[in-house]
Amino acid sequence: MKQILIITDGCSNVGMSPIVAAAHAKSEGITVNVVGVVDHGDLGEYGASEIHEIARAGGGLSRLVQAKELAQTVQMMTRKTVVQTIQLAVQRELQAVLGNDSIEALPPEKRGEVVKVMDELTETSTLQVALLIDASASMKPKFASVEESIQDLMLSLQAREGKSEIAVFHFPGSKQEDCVLDLAWTTQLKGVRSIFPKLHLSGTTPTGPAIMKVVEYFVQHSHSKDRSEMEGMLGDDVV
Amino acid sequence: MTTSFKLPLKKGSNIVGKWKNGLYRVERLLGEGANGKVYLVSKDWQWYALKIGASSIDLQSEINALKALAGEQTSSSPYLKDVDDWITPQGKEVPFYTMRYVKGMNMADYIAQHGTDWFPLLGLNLLRGIGELHRANWIFGDLKLENIIVGEYGDVDLIDFGGATPIGKGVKQFTEIYDRGYWNEGSRSADAAYDIFSFGVLCLQVFAPRKLAQLSKELLPQNRSAEQLLALVTDIPPLIPYRKWLELAFKGGFSHGKEAAAAWRAVAHQRKPAVKSKATPRWLKVMITISIISLSITASLYALDYAGLLR
Repeated sequence: MKQILIITDGCSNVGMSPIVAAAHAKSEGITVNVVGVVDHGDLGEYGASEIHEIARAGGGLSRLVQAKELAQTVQMMTRKTVVQTIQLAVQRELQAVLGNDSIEALPPEKRGEVVKVMDELTETSTLQVALLIDASASMKPKFASVEESIQDLMLSLQAREGKSEIAVFHFPGSKQEDCVLDLAWTTQLKGVRSIFPKLHLSGTTPTGPAIMKVVEYFVQHSHSKDRSEMEGMLGDDVV
Repeated sequence: MTTSFKLPLKKGSNIVGKWKNGLYRVERLLGEGANGKVYLVSKDWQWYALKIGASSIDLQSEINALKALAGEQTSSSPYLKDVDDWITPQGKEVPFYTMRYVKGMNMADYIAQHGTDWFPLLGLNLLRGIGELHRANWIFGDLKLENIIVGEYGDVDLIDFGGATPIGKGVKQFTEIYDRGYWNEGSRSADAAYDIFSFGVLCLQVFAPRKLAQLSKELLPQNRSAEQLLALVTDIPPLIPYRKWLELAFKGGFSHGKEAAAAWRAVAHQRKPAVKSKATPRWLKVMITISIISLSITASLYALDYAGLLR
């Protein structure tokens, strides 16, 4: 299962539309979640609607929160998305087998069995989450919270039974790059004191191009050898 | 996110089960959890707590936990009564389940009303309840003030099993301030010690909610620790006898609710004589201290004199 989680506090202003980019991600089987940090109110109505649109195009969730709620939100969104992905896959299977349109059509006893399987899959499926962090100047006061939320996410993921990896990117880079890799796929953050050492926060927000870079990274580093039986069952278009 | 669940259910509304035709009349809203709302309802002159949610999967997962616990015959199994769906007047299908209704209040209010004398017993009853879950190889997960109801004479009931998790899995639902991981004291994998840690925070939450909130707000994430939590205990007289116990709880020293309950009980029972002997007034203590000090000074002077060192 693959997810991109974007943490931003403003509108994209350079390069391709982030909504198109998110749709690209979705077509590669990557769900896109977006958290908007609203602390100093420079997000605006347009920024808020862009955040929702990116998540919709990417098949994920969006939320506007205060910096202090970041850790809780990031952790919860990631989990919710895993549940939803499994849900979609199982629902598709049910439809194919039973012709039912949803799990709700099953009587409560049968539903219990199906949900038991879904909970098991939620816990054991392999998961990759790429965090994409807006490093425009206005984000500066929020970076401590961002870092905390990443540590906290790792803690939650480590409690899962399935293999869970995160990677961290920020955008834009100090030399005009669309996006920079801070931390390659890893299953733990022990010994990582600072994920973003000496970050030069810049003015532009190339959200769209940055998403495309992360999608590329996913494609290049897809662990075809790691695919478990379970993922085979879920089908290629989901995981 | 689509977790919020808007469905105004007024007093007198009827909820009818789609599969089993049970008819429930709504009395009032009792509370709200992450997966749905809980209403007080009546059916055939009996009160029930009815939980209704937006997502049948989240709710079903909770029902599965309740069933697994009931299967183990633990007395704290919250007595799952009925599981069904309801088709709302708007034509929306929503899942619900009913439980035994437990009349009572939250632990902090109970102690405020009935006095801190009740606290050791409430703690003990709660730990025993948790211990039964542990015996069934589950943990409660989201242990917090809002998920506990205290009934008459200190009966304690756990409500809202949305966080219940089989031991060994990732804790399903938790609340930051009660979370072991948040305080840098361990993982979010379900083990008995996880619940007992939350119980420790609960003790602080009962007596010093503001100080606890302040602490979590002010500390840098990397500085959150058991030591910081323990430092609060010093200012909370009812908790002082439990300081050692709390230290163990925060440090993962108990591996089972039963063990934690036994240790708690030992403190609760030995505490009583200590309370009665508090008759020593403060001025007397001060006088005794002064006389001890002056005595020791005199004694040492004599000793020095004897040794000939003062000459």
